Amino acid sequence: MNLDAARLARGAGRLALAYAAALVLFGAFVVTKGANPIQMYGDMWRSTVLNGTSIGQVLVKASPLILAGLAVAVPAKAGLVNVGGEGQVIMGAVAAGGVALALDGTLPGGVMVVVMMLAAATAGGLWAGLAAVLRLTVRVNEAITTLLLNYVAIDLLLYLIYQPWKDKFGSGQPATRALAVAARLPLIGTSKVHAGFVIAVVATAVIFALLRWTSWGFRLRVVGGNAEAARRAGLPVSALLISAMVVGGALAGLGGMVHFAGAEFKLRPGMTLNFGYIAFLAAWLARHDPLKVAGAAVLLALIAIGGDSLQLDSGLPAAAVNVLMGLVLVAVMGRGQTTRRSPKVAGIPAVAS
Amino acid sequence: MSLLTEEVAAPTIEGEPLLAVRDLTVRFGEVVANDSVNFEVRAGEVHALLGENGAGKSTLMKLIYGVNKPDSGELHFGGSPVRIDSPAAARRLGIGMVFQDLRLVPALTVAENVALALPLKGIRLDRAGLVRRIEEAADHFGLACDPSALVRHLSIGERQRVEILKVLMAGAKLVILDEPTSVLAPQEVDALFAGLRQLRARGLSVVIITHKLHEARAIADRVSVLRGGKMVLVAADPTAHDDRSLIEAMVGRTVPALPATRPSPRAAATPALELHGVSANGDGGHLALQDVDLVIASGELVGVAGVSGNGQRELYEVALGLRELAGGRVVVAGTDLSGGGPRAAIEAGGVGIPEDPVADAVVPGLSVAEHMALADLKSVRRGFGIDWAKVRSRLAGLDEQTGLRMAGAGRKVADLSGGNIQRVILTRALGSDARLVVAAYPSRGLDVATTRRTQELLLERRAAGAGVLVISEDVDELLELSDRILVLHAGRVAGIVRPGEADRYDIGELMLQGAK
Amino acid sequence: MILPVEVMVGAVRGGTSILYAALGETVSERAGVINLGTEGCMLVGALTGYAVTASTGNPWVGVLAGAVAGGLLALVHAILVLSRGANQLATGLVVLFLGLGLTSLFGAAYVGRSINAFKPVGIPGLSSIPGVGDVLFNHDPLTYLSYLAGPAVWWLLYRSRPGLILRAAGERQEVLAAYGHSPLRVRYLAVVAGGALAGIGGAQLSTAYANAWFENMTQGRGFIAVALVIFAAWHPIRAVWGAYLFGAALALSPALQARGYGFNQFALDAIPYVVTIGVLVFLGRRRAHAAPEGLRKVFEMSGT
Repeated sequence: MNLDAARLARGAGRLALAYAAALVLFGAFVVTKGANPIQMYGDMWRSTVLNGTSIGQVLVKASPLILAGLAVAVPAKAGLVNVGGEGQVIMGAVAAGGVALALDGTLPGGVMVVVMMLAAATAGGLWAGLAAVLRLTVRVNEAITTLLLNYVAIDLLLYLIYQPWKDKFGSGQPATRALAVAARLPLIGTSKVHAGFVIAVVATAVIFALLRWTSWGFRLRVVGGNAEAARRAGLPVSALLISAMVVGGALAGLGGMVHFAGAEFKLRPGMTLNFGYIAFLAAWLARHDPLKVAGAAVLLALIAIGGDSLQLDSGLPAAAVNVLMGLVLVAVMGRGQTTRRSPKVAGIPAVAS
Repeated sequence: MSLLTEEVAAPTIEGEPLLAVRDLTVRFGEVVANDSVNFEVRAGEVHALLGENGAGKSTLMKLIYGVNKPDSGELHFGGSPVRIDSPAAARRLGIGMVFQDLRLVPALTVAENVALALPLKGIRLDRAGLVRRIEEAADHFGLACDPSALVRHLSIGERQRVEILKVLMAGAKLVILDEPTSVLAPQEVDALFAGLRQLRARGLSVVIITHKLHEARAIADRVSVLRGGKMVLVAADPTAHDDRSLIEAMVGRTVPALPATRPSPRAAATPALELHGVSANGDGGHLALQDVDLVIASGELVGVAGVSGNGQRELYEVALGLRELAGGRVVVAGTDLSGGGPRAAIEAGGVGIPEDPVADAVVPGLSVAEHMALADLKSVRRGFGIDWAKVRSRLAGLDEQTGLRMAGAGRKVADLSGGNIQRVILTRALGSDARLVVAAYPSRGLDVATTRRTQELLLERRAAGAGVLVISEDVDELLELSDRILVLHAGRVAGIVRPGEADRYDIGELMLQGAK
Repeated sequence: MILPVEVMVGAVRGGTSILYAALGETVSERAGVINLGTEGCMLVGALTGYAVTASTGNPWVGVLAGAVAGGLLALVHAILVLSRGANQLATGLVVLFLGLGLTSLFGAAYVGRSINAFKPVGIPGLSSIPGVGDVLFNHDPLTYLSYLAGPAVWWLLYRSRPGLILRAAGERQEVLAAYGHSPLRVRYLAVVAGGALAGIGGAQLSTAYANAWFENMTQGRGFIAVALVIFAAWHPIRAVWGAYLFGAALALSPALQARGYGFNQFALDAIPYVVTIGVLVFLGRRRAHAAPEGLRKVFEMSGT
């Protein structure tokens, strides 16, 4: 018991140290840009945690991030690396946007939301499922294909909003017309947080339960741990891998829909703000534990919102927060492991037979 | 020239030993792997180090080769005390080691592999010079090889030869071979031993680690025996000891004999396994199994002998629905597997003990109990979830029934040793009431007592009416266990023999040359 | 200029940066480490090359600095993967993010600034050969250098002693360790060298190809380079041809548009990525066997 507690404490200490190191390092970068890091962190802190509106913004931003983070975590349980969150988020948004353009006004708002969710989940699931199928049929690594499919998805989005789906009565910007107010995700109570956050929280709970308690979750862990052992135990490995990837893609697609119907209301260039990539990092930060993924997503959303204050208060480009995110990840992934090291030295087992 | 009747030459050089080990002790945590061990090797002798698995043979040799560090004791080489704290230091002294898992890179050529092992300098790789040196050395030591061949394309025996050549080219005066014969057919063993005699004739010293008595007798000038980390017999003349006393030195206790009277196979019942004209491709796409016909009756144990890589792996896999057929039919307990894959084989009542459990059967992050659930997920299902209480109670029953002393239910497999992982796999497979048991090298990595218990369990399954297929590289084990022995050569059935009617040499001939 | 020549000129022009990055990634992967952060290494190489050229006025110094920057970022990847045991694919993306962030943080000042960039230098005589001259002999010095880079990397990998050690590190590091070499050191060097080559590729992009710096200017070239290495079965010469193939795909869109074909720009922009996937699909099965053993663990699971 004591040993465990000590190990946990050591782990927590290392984690805290890692975060601190990332903050100090980023501060150093900021100094070279002529800004005052202490003031900057103060601004970031005030403008996020201490500010009710900003907390709302953080949760709004976190919603698609949580969903896209789960989209990485579920395939990861099965040993798959889904780097395609970005593309799947876009495909979800495109599907929701397409549904909106086709059906807006013909259906009651609530029904529209459900139809958009279904369309987005389907689109995201198919986009990810494509990578899984390629993996299984022609053995192309899914990390590479999902990555390349991101660019294809971006080009598809741009193609649509520059030509066929462009709002002819708009300001001339490449964007679709805005989603009808009735079809938008409602706000929770009097807050500025939309129902997408509820969707994200529910999804987290569901995925947690599925992975922890169901036979499906167990089988995914078996496949992820040793696919050959799974095959030899008679598990339907291909179906399980595809299911993991499709569920992941569907979650990311849902994230795209939440972002579209909750925050953007229009399809426009750059609308996804690297959600897929940030979520990937959140998932790895949390080692694919669904509850921790949600937590990490909120943390990264916080940093991202803090980034806006960087721009306003310190005159730094908003994308500079990517440095902070990157440093946090480098520090956390590079911190000492609390699990014991394998006793192997340079590939030679230390204990002989 | 037969292996068993080969006359043992007297030690050629007397006097000061080339290598002397004095009171060497090494501990791994609680375990004392070598306990005040004394050992010596003379120049120009072949010295066999005998002992069962886990006796500390490899540990001792790794101490000499600088991989392991002693906690106390001394080493003398060439008459003076030395400290060997790395393999590089050992090589500088002139000590070379041929490991069981050869230190070769399959994707590189023989010459490139040799280059890695030599202390070369400079940027440019002098390929022509290298090839010339290898050819000269091959000639000098009588170990023929093709320097420009990719190691990937060589047989195990050829790879071993390359490895020995590599060690010699690095200037070894003492060559240590760690169980070199375990992957070879008897006749290939003869070739290896002929090579070793050549080295002896050139004044080089050889230490050969083995647990096979007849091999020690065939090649060694002197033998030493390790048991439980202690040297129980030091540098003895093998002719002065009979087999019985050497076995007792190795094992220290008598192993119960296997039951001699066994129920006869139930020819009338549905056969446990039928292979009709089965062909299958290997991983490389070549035809690895051709036209295999085999029927295993209920209550029959069939052994499979062959030099490794002659279709054993593919045979194992087709019997359990793990590999697609290129032709023919596989029927398990009356169920045709056609296209049904592993699921169909499992449902028909087939279980397997794979050749490489770490690669093919276990999931490192899962517990022992979770592995038990994996064997039969359907029966422990509860709604969408799994009934873990049921899994645990079943597991306790299995452990008692098999008596293999498996690790605790909650232990993660990643934390278990190879032997303990094998126990988990054996318990899972041999505790079930399967109709067909296919076991590939079931006693690998186990001590003598557990090996014997495993063999008993295989016979128990047989007695209970299951068909059993045992693939092994140990022909003696197969002769002891099997009702019939199938010999594979180049993917074909070279012959099926009955233990009473054939000896190890007849089988060895089939293994090497195929059917006549 | 007729279309095929224009596309081939574009292939060499646009392919050169990918060529450097793909060669770098080949070196890294041959040693057993995949770096998805190649994109990030290219970005820091591009910005550093541009910025240093701007302040020194000498593009050669700029390229050198770009190589150093790419190597340093790759070093972060190497430390996390080799010394901290982090997942290679995930770490690569972290490195990409660092690259993106760092270049936007420090790059804002250089957007729209002009520099003394590399100029195309016609090779006397050769450059006036019709067709061939334009395709091969009317480029910036970094492009000429890249003609040598492929064979040089090939020689290093397959004909030199350090190259043999590097390949062994990517296949079976325990064998290398058994003979007193340090696989760790070899892998560190390979990853850093790979990052440096990607940095040169990035610098070529900013100081010779585009003569400009803008945020995220590599636009996925680093990822294409990574995919290309698989497509080339980890062979440097094939990687060179692959790079030109993708350079051609990049050049096709503007060339067609200039001729008034009514293709949608974004549909054409997607071509390189779709082609990459297509090629991988087409060659996937055959190429898998060529992978260094050390990479196979990262790349594919058994039995699927």
